[in-house]
Amino acid sequence: MNDGAVAADRFAALADPTRRHLLEQLATADRAVTELMAGLAMSQPAVSQHLRVLRDAGLVTARKDGRHRYYQLRPAGLTELRDWIDQLERFWQGRLAALGDYLHNTELHNTELHNTELHSAERHNPRDQAEDENRH
Amino acid sequence: MRTDIDLSASYPFPPERVWAALTSSEALGTWLMPNDFAPVKGHRFTFRTKPAPGFDGIVHCEVLELDPPRRMVWSWAGGPLDTTVTFTLEPAGEGTHLRLQHEGFHGLAAQLVRRIMANGWPRILRRHLAGWLAGKTP
Repeated sequence: MNDGAVAADRFAALADPTRRHLLEQLATADRAVTELMAGLAMSQPAVSQHLRVLRDAGLVTARKDGRHRYYQLRPAGLTELRDWIDQLERFWQGRLAALGDYLHNTELHNTELHNTELHSAERHNPRDQAEDENRH
Repeated sequence: MRTDIDLSASYPFPPERVWAALTSSEALGTWLMPNDFAPVKGHRFTFRTKPAPGFDGIVHCEVLELDPPRRMVWSWAGGPLDTTVTFTLEPAGEGTHLRLQHEGFHGLAAQLVRRIMANGWPRILRRHLAGWLAGKTP
């Protein structure tokens, strides 16, 4: 579940409203930090820090173009997130099936227990015991 | 569009039987994971599974709601993920219809993607996201 750690980082990255805002900006075009600062009451280091979290989470990539660094969205990061959810969903599907098995098995066990009790009750019947002994 | 995990299963046993399997530590240990669960509202417990990088293998939970034999809600936190798991039981004939909802993480991502789409998404990205959006719509 190494993927789980990556997905967890991505969910944590997406949990922050500023970072969701940045992703929305990057959805329409690649942008430099100075462009991304517009509309955010935030210093450049603070915005860069958020972008770093998004990069570490694999949701954006950066490329250098001359003196500027441009950020772009990494859609694979979002599809991988979906894949991770699918994996978790399969986990629960497996567990719900296991719950069904558990219910059936305990039902069988109870039935067997019930039969055993009936059987031993019969065994305690002296007539049955006598028949058993006659048989031997 | 799907926003969270939402699964259903039917069992040919009455809700009381299914409820018992959902609220016994021993039963949960058999079909889910080893745990120290107790059917008490506010009880904090853990599930323990195999550790993995970035995940110590421990899921921290709390019983948030307990309404026998109909509904139970757990908080479910592993690593930085903070989510909820809800079990809802409904009688169905002589059996039980169980609904399991695991919520709290996918919704944010899904909302974001939906809003980005509404604002006009470049074609190349739209292609990448086709699977995501088409994926699980019932």
